[in-house]
Amino acid sequence: MSASPSFRDGLLAAVPTLRAFAVSLAKNADRADDLVQETLVKAWDKQDSFQPGTNLKAWLFTILRNEFYSQMRKRRREVEDSDGSITARLSIHPAQEGNSDLNDFRRALALLPEDQREAIILIGASGFSYEEAAEICGCAVGTIKSRVSRARSRLQEILSISGEGDFGPDAITAQVTNSAAVA
Amino acid sequence: MTRMFKDVGQDADDEKGMTYQKLDKGRNGSKRNPAADPLGPNSEIGRKLRQYYDELISEEVPDRFSQLLNQLQQQEQQGSTTKED
Repeated sequence: MSASPSFRDGLLAAVPTLRAFAVSLAKNADRADDLVQETLVKAWDKQDSFQPGTNLKAWLFTILRNEFYSQMRKRRREVEDSDGSITARLSIHPAQEGNSDLNDFRRALALLPEDQREAIILIGASGFSYEEAAEICGCAVGTIKSRVSRARSRLQEILSISGEGDFGPDAITAQVTNSAAVA
Repeated sequence: MTRMFKDVGQDADDEKGMTYQKLDKGRNGSKRNPAADPLGPNSEIGRKLRQYYDELISEEVPDRFSQLLNQLQQQEQQGSTTKED
């Protein structure tokens, strides 16, 4: 019982980074906060299985990630094709040009497949080592490395296309976008 | 969750009990050479990624999370006192 207050504080201190990871996975702030809440409850219930001295943040990320994928599987079973990734792909629109650089980046990130997106977030933003990220995702270190590298190339590809001033990879899309911008 | 940090590498099997040491070595060993790091300070993608994430982290945290943790702690304390009674 004496360990509880510090365990509580540890969880509370992790909330901002858990939320950031959850938003990156779920691409939706409300869903992300539900994920974080679920993660805290689960972590609390199994705090006895946490080994003090090991990485609390990595342990929490593992719980959150498992929760995200199990919810997603449930959802997929419930609603066959309203998958979310399709919606995201469609909602990526050149219309919001003039917004910050970061919006372009956000949209590009949303286009990545989940496994690549989580890998590049864990390594490039959350500050985990490749070994820790592999542990969190339950896969080999080499798998994380290749996902990060594919994610990076894909982001570069997407961002350099949208950075050219028009959007589509084909001339027709480019024309439509340009004339829309002029009109 | 109990599997935390077990599959560090195949050769870890040779030296059971060395896992933690190996991991430490791995962690410090991957101390990044900034020029070689594809997501390091010289990478535009890396910079944007951190900018994106820092912005998320600096968002104000809703009260519901500290309330939830207080509640969990209270429940636990109440649970333990009723057990003692």
